[in-house]
Amino acid sequence: MTNLNAVDGASLAEEARIEHNDVVIGKATIILRRFVRNKAAVAGLVIFLALTAFSLVGGLFTSWDKATIDPLFIAEPPSSVHWLGTTQAGIDLYAQVVEGTRVSILIGLVVGLLSVLIAAVYGCTMAYYGGRVDKIMLFVLEALIMMPALLVVAVATGSGGGSLRRDAPSWLLLVVVLLVFSWMGTARLIRSLAMSVMQRDFVKAARYMGIPPRRIVWRHLVPNIGSLLVLDVTRGVTAAILAEVAFSFIGIGIRLPDVSLGVLIGQSTAQVSTFPWMFWSPLIVMLLLTGSLAMMNDGLRDAFDPHSSSVGKAKRSQKARAA
Amino acid sequence: MNTRASQPTTERAHGASSETRSNQVPANSPGSTLSNNVLSVRDLNVSFNTENGVVHAVRGVDFDLAAGKTLGIVGESGSGKSVTSLAIMGLLPTTAGVTGSVRLNGKELLGLSDKAMSVHRGNNIAMIFQDPLSSLTPVHSIGAQIVEALTIHNPSMSKKAKEARAVELLTLVGIPSPKDRLKAFPHEFSGGMRQRVMIAMAIANNPKVLIADEPTTALDVTIQAQVLEVLHRAQEETGAAVVMITHDLGVVAGFADDIMVMYAGRPVETGSVDEIYYGPRMPYTLGLLGAVPRIDSVEKSSLVPIDGMPPNLLREPTGCTFAPRCPLAVAACLTGEPRLEPVPRLEPVRGLDPVPEPRRNASPNPGHRAACIKADTLGPSSLGALADARRIFHAPPVPVSKFDALARSERETVLELKDVRKHFPLLKGSLIKRRVGTVKAVDGVSFDIREGECFSIVGESGSGKTTTLLEIMEFDADQPGEIAIGGVSNKHLGDGRAKTAIRRRLQMVFQDPSAAMDPRFTVFEILAEPMEHLGLGSAEVRRRIMELMNLVGLEPDHVNRFPNQFSGGQRQRIGIARALTVKPRLVVLDEPVSALDVSVQAGIINLLDRLRAELGLSFLLVAHDLSVVRHVANRVAVMYLGKIVEIGDIDVVFDDPKHPYTRALLSAIPVPDPGVERTRERIILRGDLPSPLDAPKGCNFASRCPVFAALPASLQEKCLTTEPPLEKVRGRHTEDRQFACFYPDGLLDTEMLVVHETSD
Amino acid sequence: MLKYLLKRSGIYVVMIFLTTSAGYLLAVSALKPALLEQERVPRPTPEQVANSFRLLGLDPNKNTWERYAEWLGAVVTRWDWGRSPNGAFINAEFGERVWVSTRLFLASIILTLFIGVALGVYSAARQYKFPDRVITSYSYLAYILPAPVAYFLVQLGAITINEAAGKRIFFVTGISTPGVDAGWAQFVDLVAHYAVPTFAITVLGWGTYQIAQRQYLLDNVNADFVRTARAKGLTRNQAISRHALRVSFIPVAQSIAFTVPAIFAGGFFAEKIFAWHGVGSWSIDSIALQDVNAATATLAYGSLIFAIGAILADFATTLVDPRVRVA
Repeated sequence: MTNLNAVDGASLAEEARIEHNDVVIGKATIILRRFVRNKAAVAGLVIFLALTAFSLVGGLFTSWDKATIDPLFIAEPPSSVHWLGTTQAGIDLYAQVVEGTRVSILIGLVVGLLSVLIAAVYGCTMAYYGGRVDKIMLFVLEALIMMPALLVVAVATGSGGGSLRRDAPSWLLLVVVLLVFSWMGTARLIRSLAMSVMQRDFVKAARYMGIPPRRIVWRHLVPNIGSLLVLDVTRGVTAAILAEVAFSFIGIGIRLPDVSLGVLIGQSTAQVSTFPWMFWSPLIVMLLLTGSLAMMNDGLRDAFDPHSSSVGKAKRSQKARAA
Repeated sequence: MNTRASQPTTERAHGASSETRSNQVPANSPGSTLSNNVLSVRDLNVSFNTENGVVHAVRGVDFDLAAGKTLGIVGESGSGKSVTSLAIMGLLPTTAGVTGSVRLNGKELLGLSDKAMSVHRGNNIAMIFQDPLSSLTPVHSIGAQIVEALTIHNPSMSKKAKEARAVELLTLVGIPSPKDRLKAFPHEFSGGMRQRVMIAMAIANNPKVLIADEPTTALDVTIQAQVLEVLHRAQEETGAAVVMITHDLGVVAGFADDIMVMYAGRPVETGSVDEIYYGPRMPYTLGLLGAVPRIDSVEKSSLVPIDGMPPNLLREPTGCTFAPRCPLAVAACLTGEPRLEPVPRLEPVRGLDPVPEPRRNASPNPGHRAACIKADTLGPSSLGALADARRIFHAPPVPVSKFDALARSERETVLELKDVRKHFPLLKGSLIKRRVGTVKAVDGVSFDIREGECFSIVGESGSGKTTTLLEIMEFDADQPGEIAIGGVSNKHLGDGRAKTAIRRRLQMVFQDPSAAMDPRFTVFEILAEPMEHLGLGSAEVRRRIMELMNLVGLEPDHVNRFPNQFSGGQRQRIGIARALTVKPRLVVLDEPVSALDVSVQAGIINLLDRLRAELGLSFLLVAHDLSVVRHVANRVAVMYLGKIVEIGDIDVVFDDPKHPYTRALLSAIPVPDPGVERTRERIILRGDLPSPLDAPKGCNFASRCPVFAALPASLQEKCLTTEPPLEKVRGRHTEDRQFACFYPDGLLDTEMLVVHETSD
Repeated sequence: MLKYLLKRSGIYVVMIFLTTSAGYLLAVSALKPALLEQERVPRPTPEQVANSFRLLGLDPNKNTWERYAEWLGAVVTRWDWGRSPNGAFINAEFGERVWVSTRLFLASIILTLFIGVALGVYSAARQYKFPDRVITSYSYLAYILPAPVAYFLVQLGAITINEAAGKRIFFVTGISTPGVDAGWAQFVDLVAHYAVPTFAITVLGWGTYQIAQRQYLLDNVNADFVRTARAKGLTRNQAISRHALRVSFIPVAQSIAFTVPAIFAGGFFAEKIFAWHGVGSWSIDSIALQDVNAATATLAYGSLIFAIGAILADFATTLVDPRVRVA
């Protein structure tokens, strides 16, 4: 596809645009503009921020909390007193959903960010040293990928776990276990991308100019895989939230009295036809959460992609009108 | 434009082939020109809707093409030449707006549906694409792909017949043992071989028209010569009319009958080869001719730079599109785009450079048209087109370095290589990697570079020239062989800091300027990085950056832009500026102009010339384009399979090459001069660079050597058993040249010699 | 090729050994079946418990490394994976459960692959048109839904159908009804049991393949070689189906490696929700029952599945891509 440039009207136009471009805009600005132009992505961001705000301050709007039992309302559908109804124990579901959303977002963010951090350090180390170090680290990585995460999740949060389980909240244990098993795929991706960046001419140029390795890694390598890292964070957050819900749903993740969206969804399955609100309200919140993250991820990928078809759409149409 | 009456075939030594050709094209006689045209294009316009607006990629292309004739379409990237060919083939995306008329044997092709068009494609009209590496389907065998071309248009053909035809085609394009190769996959073929397969596929159904889009651009010169030969043979065999699209004025000079020069989507000059090359009437054509360095030019002169960039095709042009770059532009040029009109006949002038004879043969005729209001006044002066170009485009004077006057031995050595080697393990299989041997990428290379000189390494891809560069840049004590920068050897290095300090004396300019710059840095940051590392103050850094921007001919105001906001040529200037930030003694240039258009390339070459003179720099230049090397370098080393086979003063080596490989390389370079091309003797090397595994005991080159092939068996023995040493010519010890061949004056095998000739 | 596969298999054997060993050590130190025995009525004395465990080869008084050596010796010399605290033999139990799991997943894996790839091709051919948007949106929906929740929703749907029909058409749990006569009745029973889980796993699984296949094909429709094929006289659609399609299969084939274990992991959820007693649910149950040997065996099985997936991926890649074939 190398010689298509002659046919590619967009690249011709791009070249022409560069020539007549008077304002110099930074790459970050361009990415931001492309992201903002993607309506779905912006919607995703807004929903995600709204849910985060809801999970933080939602509790202020109701006088109920996640533990208080209202003996007058046991397993009642939504009403003006209990906006989302109550559970069979008579606990306000709204308060529980707020709490569950917070726990789920917390787990997602912590796991998403930390796993990418671990993966970045591991992957860049492999790419930077290469050779034998790379081989050994890759072997360890693959062995870890082979290990079914499930088992360890069960051991840590389930019947095993020992003293740790007694002292730490179950969500923290889940975070640790999800972390241990979520960074390997990302590390592989980062490794291969970092390796290709290390092969690029501008890294060679820096080396030949005598720039020390640490500086090369910080100034050239990390910023150039930055877009992948950001994408991996959003993907990692989504995956962690999904994993939390999945594990808690079948009863091996978060356990009562801690609540999370997974717990809320899971505990209501038995009477879904009798008490549907208990099932659907946390499920809808979860779908909003993962869906908004997926939309953001999509928009970010488009914005980062230099070949993206949405390059400079707004600017161009303005220009075309002016011309 | 092919109204040119057929002329009596010039008698030449190898007239046989031209005879065949004229036999096969009996219709090509005077009076039948109209019905004779297999392909007629009228007012072809192509536009693309982009988000930025409508891009008018092709505007008003007209031409006729007769059977057996060749039209060369010449232009730089973005000139619309490839879009034109794809529009004719009906291969543009459906979103493209195509208007005008394309008639094949009188039948209109434009507006046909994909299905209706597919009846013609590959049958009556076929195409050869530029990049042989990506143009063949990787998962189907060569045989299957050729057979498919036959099946589509001959559904009734038997399987056996199709296979026989495929073998026949592969034989025709010169693929050895074609029967076995049918089952091979594209990845098992070299680039040149794949391009042959492409040609075989294109001519499978004896098309009336063959379109070749930059068919040799991705190939080495020696392979380019082979492929052009195959194309010639294919044209003879099928009697097809050929449209040859290229940016290389040399490639079409010996191949085409007529030329169409395109600029900004429009043909700006059309005419016969001789008319275009010897009497260009459009300043752009003139500039292009002057911008190309020539392998056969002995006198040193600056190239013609065409300043500026092609216009933005988004805007409807109000005047001549070339006017902003044209030194002759007057106010009238800006009002109304000039039409392509016949230029008045000019009386041939005798005794002009460079080759007077073809000019006499070329009778000017109304077929020569140009789109320039000054076309009447242009025309060749008594000095010839090249000199005109230099005068009109204000080519700078040839810069002189203070070192040029000094004898080489009196100058300091800035770089010395002694017996440098680089061997790689050769691994086979992409899943299963097993070592099957050793590739001697660089195998005992020694040379030195003195102050103020440009030393160049040339050779085919795979010869080890780039590996040699990278070995020098590594500059590590563990390397086999010795590298000394400014007298300090890699074997006697102190700590890492000393190594960095020494390495700084040597800087590199990369082939692809956009890949060599961190896209996240502004120009200022790019240039400042090495200086900051040296600990220069910010005021000093700032001052030096402004100085450098001026030096390489960029506007200092642009330092806050990002690399992608510059054109290719400007980016390469930034690359050069960066190499100069740390004040090196030697700049290593890895194919510095190969990614650039001809007109931009000239500016960079002139800049390099000037920097060498003004700053007293030394250059180590690796380039595959021998014309560029001839223009820039003072000394040259020719590499073949990791070894230097000939080294010495550029004029000595290029004017009188001794090693058969050097002779073949030089003879393969096309010259943008139809007269020279027609009478040149060309050595076509057999096959590709051999696999490094079969490295023979004796001379590496023996397997492809035309001299070796012509030797009697008794003398061949020596080549096969003993490795020829790199030595000076006996009796000429003062001459700056060494080569590695036992029979430098040996006769060439006539079978490998071809005299290129045009088809009239 | 054979040599290569052997070499790869060798590496995977080492990996399986390492992960299984690590799993065993983890399980031995974390799982304490003796604690569970304490809850029995009447409560056995610690001596009784220790005694019965010693007979089962689960001596809690030995240290971790002794038990590891003993366990490894039995596995290597006699292919004996030990016994559960309740006395059951792991080998026997395992054989049964593998069969259940395989029956549950084999059809789903094949269906997932075929439907995903076919829909990917179909939607790529209609890029940005209505069918493409519907299919691709669905795939994204499948992506943001956790597997067990999705299975549960399918189960709910099946129950709704049953209720609407007024009789039980689908079984939403279990693998077969005991005591059904052989022959036609048994077949109907089988289908009624299989339909819901297979459907659930398939509809949730194909999304990934659909998105990947669509993307790879779109990457290739404008490739140079497709243009060459059109220049030979194929129409655009012919060129795409004969040339671009097969090239676009290559990365999909490579991704099999990661899908087989993913389905295994997802399969554990399916087994749990649909109450099929396969290896997946066993791995969770074994932990609940503090069963060291069973937990280790399931882990070994997971590693083995991964290795098989990786080798299958290599094999599939070799089939579609001649460039990786070794002469």
